[in-house]
Amino acid sequence: MNKYINLIKNNLSLTILLISLLVVLILTSCAQATQAPEITDAGTTHETSEGPTISREGVFKVAMQPIVQTDPAFISSDSEVLVANHVYDYLVDIDPQNNIIPRLAKEWTVSDDGLSYVFTLQEGVTFHDGSPLSAEDVVWTFNRLRDPEAGLPTGDLYSNIANVGGSGDLEVIFTLENPNPFFLFDLSDNHALILKAGTEDASTTFNGTGPFKVSNYLPEDRIILEANENYFIDGEPKLAGIEIIFFNDEAAAVDALRGGQVDLALRMSTELFVSLQDEPNIVTIDIPTNGFDLVRLRSDRSPGDDPRVIQAFKLATDRQAILQLVQQGYGAIGRDSPIGPLYTTYYSEDTPVPTRDIAAARQLLSDAGYPDGLEMEMHVPDSGGRPNLAVVLKEQWAEAGIDVNVIVEPESVYYGDDGWLEVDLGNTGWGSRPYPQFYLDVMLKCDAIWNESHFCDDEFDHLVSLAGSTLDEAERIEAYHEMQRILIERGPVIIPYFFAQYAAISDQFQGFELKAFAGRTDFRQLSTTR
Amino acid sequence: MHPGSEIPILNVENLTVAYQHGETWQNAVRDVSLRISSGETLGLVGESGSGKTTLLYGIMRYLPAGGRLRGGTIELAGQDLSALSDAEMRHVWGKQIGMVPQNPQTSLNPTIQVGEQIAETVRHHLSLDGPAAWRRVIELLEMVHINDPHRVSKSYPHQISGGMQQRILIAMALSTEPILLVLDEPTTNLDVTTQAEILDLIGEQIQVHKTAAIYVTHNLGVAANICDRIAVMYAGELVEEAPTSGLFEKPLHPYTQGLLDSVPRLGETKSSLRLRAIEGQIPPIDEHPPGCVFAPRCPIAIEICKQHTPLYVPDTGRRTRCHRWEELMLEEVFARQKPAPKIQQQDEFAEEDQTLKLENISVHFPVKRSLREALSRSPTKTVKAVDGVNMQMSKRETLGLVGESGSGKTTLARAVMGLVEKTGGKMELLGISLPSRLSERHLDTLRSLQMVFQDSDGALNPYLSIGESLRRPLISLVGINRAQADAEVDKLLNAVHLRSSFAQRLPGQLSGGEKQRVAIARAFASNPDLLICDEPVSSLDVSVQASILNLLNDLQLENHSSLLFISHDLAVVGYLADFIFVMYLGQIMQEAQAVDLFDSPYHPYTEALLSAIPVADPQALQDFIRLEDALPNPTDELTGCPYHTRCQRTLGNICEQETPPWQEDENGKRIYCHIPLEELRAAQKRAFAQPRSERE
Amino acid sequence: MPSVPHTQTKQENAAPSRGWRFFRVIRRLYARPASALGTSIFIIFLFLAIIGPLVTPYTTTEQIYSDAFQSPSSAHWFGTDNLGRDVFSRVIAGAREILVLAGLGTLISVVTGTIIGLLSGYRGGWFDELIMRFFDSLLALPAMLLALLLLGTLGPSTNSILIVIVVVYTPIVARVTRSVVLEVKNKAYVEAARLQGESLPHIVFGEILPPVLPTLAVESALRFSYAIFLVASLGFLGVGVQPPNPNWGLMVKETRNYVSQMPWALYFPVIAISLTVIGINLMADGLKELFGVGTQ
Repeated sequence: MNKYINLIKNNLSLTILLISLLVVLILTSCAQATQAPEITDAGTTHETSEGPTISREGVFKVAMQPIVQTDPAFISSDSEVLVANHVYDYLVDIDPQNNIIPRLAKEWTVSDDGLSYVFTLQEGVTFHDGSPLSAEDVVWTFNRLRDPEAGLPTGDLYSNIANVGGSGDLEVIFTLENPNPFFLFDLSDNHALILKAGTEDASTTFNGTGPFKVSNYLPEDRIILEANENYFIDGEPKLAGIEIIFFNDEAAAVDALRGGQVDLALRMSTELFVSLQDEPNIVTIDIPTNGFDLVRLRSDRSPGDDPRVIQAFKLATDRQAILQLVQQGYGAIGRDSPIGPLYTTYYSEDTPVPTRDIAAARQLLSDAGYPDGLEMEMHVPDSGGRPNLAVVLKEQWAEAGIDVNVIVEPESVYYGDDGWLEVDLGNTGWGSRPYPQFYLDVMLKCDAIWNESHFCDDEFDHLVSLAGSTLDEAERIEAYHEMQRILIERGPVIIPYFFAQYAAISDQFQGFELKAFAGRTDFRQLSTTR
Repeated sequence: MHPGSEIPILNVENLTVAYQHGETWQNAVRDVSLRISSGETLGLVGESGSGKTTLLYGIMRYLPAGGRLRGGTIELAGQDLSALSDAEMRHVWGKQIGMVPQNPQTSLNPTIQVGEQIAETVRHHLSLDGPAAWRRVIELLEMVHINDPHRVSKSYPHQISGGMQQRILIAMALSTEPILLVLDEPTTNLDVTTQAEILDLIGEQIQVHKTAAIYVTHNLGVAANICDRIAVMYAGELVEEAPTSGLFEKPLHPYTQGLLDSVPRLGETKSSLRLRAIEGQIPPIDEHPPGCVFAPRCPIAIEICKQHTPLYVPDTGRRTRCHRWEELMLEEVFARQKPAPKIQQQDEFAEEDQTLKLENISVHFPVKRSLREALSRSPTKTVKAVDGVNMQMSKRETLGLVGESGSGKTTLARAVMGLVEKTGGKMELLGISLPSRLSERHLDTLRSLQMVFQDSDGALNPYLSIGESLRRPLISLVGINRAQADAEVDKLLNAVHLRSSFAQRLPGQLSGGEKQRVAIARAFASNPDLLICDEPVSSLDVSVQASILNLLNDLQLENHSSLLFISHDLAVVGYLADFIFVMYLGQIMQEAQAVDLFDSPYHPYTEALLSAIPVADPQALQDFIRLEDALPNPTDELTGCPYHTRCQRTLGNICEQETPPWQEDENGKRIYCHIPLEELRAAQKRAFAQPRSERE
Repeated sequence: MPSVPHTQTKQENAAPSRGWRFFRVIRRLYARPASALGTSIFIIFLFLAIIGPLVTPYTTTEQIYSDAFQSPSSAHWFGTDNLGRDVFSRVIAGAREILVLAGLGTLISVVTGTIIGLLSGYRGGWFDELIMRFFDSLLALPAMLLALLLLGTLGPSTNSILIVIVVVYTPIVARVTRSVVLEVKNKAYVEAARLQGESLPHIVFGEILPPVLPTLAVESALRFSYAIFLVASLGFLGVGVQPPNPNWGLMVKETRNYVSQMPWALYFPVIAISLTVIGINLMADGLKELFGVGTQ
């Protein structure tokens, strides 16, 4: 004992240094721990301004990718939409069966010529800061979104709107230039959340009408939402709060779900989903969607500018095998067009997809001037089934003499700086949309902003405009079927499958309804049995 | 020192200790019996490979994992140690057996204050605690004559000198009043002057505590100083045992005689006699000759020596393992054999030319400053390793340079060689100025200036064959081609008395002595004008030293070279050199012809050296001058005479402040001292024993 | 404890035949169980790496869809993965990939590091200070971090990984070499060589390098095992290697989410990585004992 006392005495300065270091370490870790405030699970009973008091219980923890954009005008990923969807409201919403339902708009009328839409807003809706919702806010929001100067992603989408105006406090009138049969769907675009008029910095103010308020936002870590006591719908939300915790890694999110640290995981690859099947206390849900993975060459330059080359690629692809291997049977086979079976009437199987024919593929390549085959690089974002898809395609195409070098990159690199639009051979994931017109306008039309394949076909473009404007449903169906034929014959893209949307949720929550575009799933009806 | 009571403290009978070599066990110590009574000190003398250390550790039952007792008994005060388990031995170690190890640097824990280390022993074995333990520690420190024991007890080992560290270890060993004290060459790493003090201390303590003691050493002089009886070991066997005076007066074994004859004594010079070397080397551990283990190397071996030799008992207290002991007793045997040939005297110096001239050479090393010092802008301290040395060497002369550690002799040699850059002064080789850096020197200069190093093990590249090591200088310096070089290599090997077949061997297969021979051959390959030898025999066994010294001498004569011989051993330097310089703290204290050095007047430092060197003759007359054991801090600025801090004859202020003058006597002896020569001559008697040659 | 004193036996005095030194080393590695195990593992993997891809039943990339998710059987010794590829063939091919890449990288770092360490240690002075401080700053960064930074700058490719290995390990080798050089350069025979007027290259490579070699051998073996681990780790992170490269680390990354469906596809690459690294490490330990490096 003496020995140790002596040791300390002799090295006094060193000992003091070490002890103070230890103290500092302890203090900083304590400080960190207190930084993240937790919403208590205890139920709270409140008086709402309308209707009877309800007791809200439970904090629902969701694992999602980190969000970057918080201004509704710029959101795009599932998690960004999920957050915004609960802080703000849409004018009209889309239910899991793809129907338009009221949200902030109580009811609406459409003129016979399809050029005029009149919406009546709900009464008594307030923003989180207490100010009431009026037509002015809706007008301001849509004017901002459609402003060609602002250069927002919705600028193009709303270019057809001639005018937005308010009439009184609760009436909004949209006047279109051309009829748009999907206008209501367009009004429910992911970005079209209603902001308060005059909002200066929408990315930080979080002042919406939505069922939840932002209580604390810790970038890269989590965002904590608490129930909006004054939400305009009685009895909603049923939860006391939501915590959206950011996970970069799908596997980690799934593990957190297994361990009970989160209650819901929405993004996961097929294999992760399969691994959760037998997990007790977890309910796995999968629904078919119109989301797909797409592989494309650039048709505006060599080698993709020769349609024989694109055809060769298609002939070398075995879609059935891909569905089996990459998606383990979940989802549906793709037919190289973004119009999937979910769209029922719009979807057509009239034109057969040619079966795999390696010899023919080789011949076509040879005819196109590549007797010794092709060598290309394929860029792939590192998420979902796309890396696997790339490897399987590489193997399949190799038999036809197409030598592909797979380059897997993080999503931020693939999509960053619009690189994905420039590469010669790319592999992109597209989320599910309620109607097919969106893909055609945004991806396949000659001047589409996200025309990654640089496809430019006059006949096709004509059909797109027709389908997007005619009020005659039969005409539209016919146009879609025709487009699918064109895409199979000479389209620039290979769409091997439509994937399913997966979700896994703790069995202690009820009322969960998964939507095809995961971010639009909403938790207003969710309650806990804890 | 008188032998104690009848009951032996230690009784060893027929002890055999074996080591594991690969698959087999080899006996390192064979059939050794010893007996020590209380108050008695037994010396165990032998060279490396003799088994003395193994015997010591075997007796203590402290063998490493590869060692084992294979036969015999060990009784400590009646208790059979060989039957005890390790756990039981732990009670014996420290409490009944105290040990003073060889190297204090590695035996003291560098991170614990020395007082605490002693206290640890005290607490454990004596069950004292707290203040009582500490009081005992201070007592012990005073017992070993440490001034200011409180300050020392709070120091760390690196803060105290080697001699003081050894005192601490002695205190530790004696702290528990053990009945047996075991000392494993405790003074080997110490300076001569410090060694003398420690030996005194050990002798005193043994008398006071009346412990039985075993003292292991390779140095006969040390043994003569301390021990009552001496046991000589060779190749694992006890070859002779006798009371000290009897052993030196009349050794009864050829090996003992050989040891005594191979060491130059103070005052003997090469002109008076030739050292007798013992031919051959110690047999490997797995290859013993069938009969007498020394027979292959023995100058007087006869037929019967091929049979096993028992221990004869010529007299009470004497034992010897030689068949011819009776003849040895009558002193006829050695005289009848080859008489020691007188060294061929050198011709008078035909040429007066100088080989080497050093003028005011200084080598100063700056001491790295700590951050605090750098910030406070205090002047950079320097270590003045060599400070203003003047030296001249003539052709074919052997110049001896004597000094202890810290004297700067090695630094001076390295400065001459160009391995260290001098900071001041001029050097001339054969009349031509010598650049201070090796890189600036011509090949010619390198050819004429070569060196033999102290470290014989490190002297040869272990990956090159001997032949290759010898060829390199021939090719690089002499400039002959490879084919011619091979013939030269042969000649060189023969010149150093090694067989030509050695050329194919690797250094790892050679003994220390053989390696040093090769190093010497290499140095002579280019026929240098000046050969510097830095302690060439210090790391070698005594029996081998003689042959190396003879070799150096012979080669120097043959090649007409000059030799600068550096050593801390005044006896060896006195033997080999024509002219001697004594160095202390970077400066020369005395210059004298070898024959004159041993006559008074001496510089007070030389006097102290002479009195400190242990002489292998118990009847020697030696002055008793003991210096306080610490050298002054080498970075301190010293004024006046560098020796004044330790001088036994200091005159006070004048020595502290004024630089001493050089005083010269009629024989060419020069002394750097304030005290007039006449006073010194009167005050100093002959400080050492009569040389052998005079006594015959 | 005192050590066994150095007394020579007759055997040790006999001259060794220079040619067979290498095999003597191997034989002595087999003397102890741990190093025997390690050496055996290494030799097995080496063998597999050399001849493996020539005798494996399937290629590393062929996807037999009908065979996907099969557990180990006589047709597929290690089973198949989610794309129907034979895991055994991939693991063997991965051995060649990783051993060659790590081996080449280690070789280059050892050569570079040795030369720098030799010159730096022998020269001393400001050159030594500069280089060593620069290496210190490199060493301050964790290897993985340094690797990622370099890969980010150089772009992912096999050559980049090679450069990464060299940049990460050269400082370590240089350091180790330099420390031995500092010890050796003051030896008498080195000074004797200088006094004989030997040229700098001769002194550095002829006198100083040989005693460095034992330490270097041990360090190289160690670096090799670390390099293998580094390559596998980078593969696991998905940087530097692209699918369908049979890099073991990449294989782990691709299959770790399939643990419930095809655990064998995950376990075998994992075992391969562990065995190789541990095996070479044990061998390095054996070499260390053999050459007496690090003691005294």
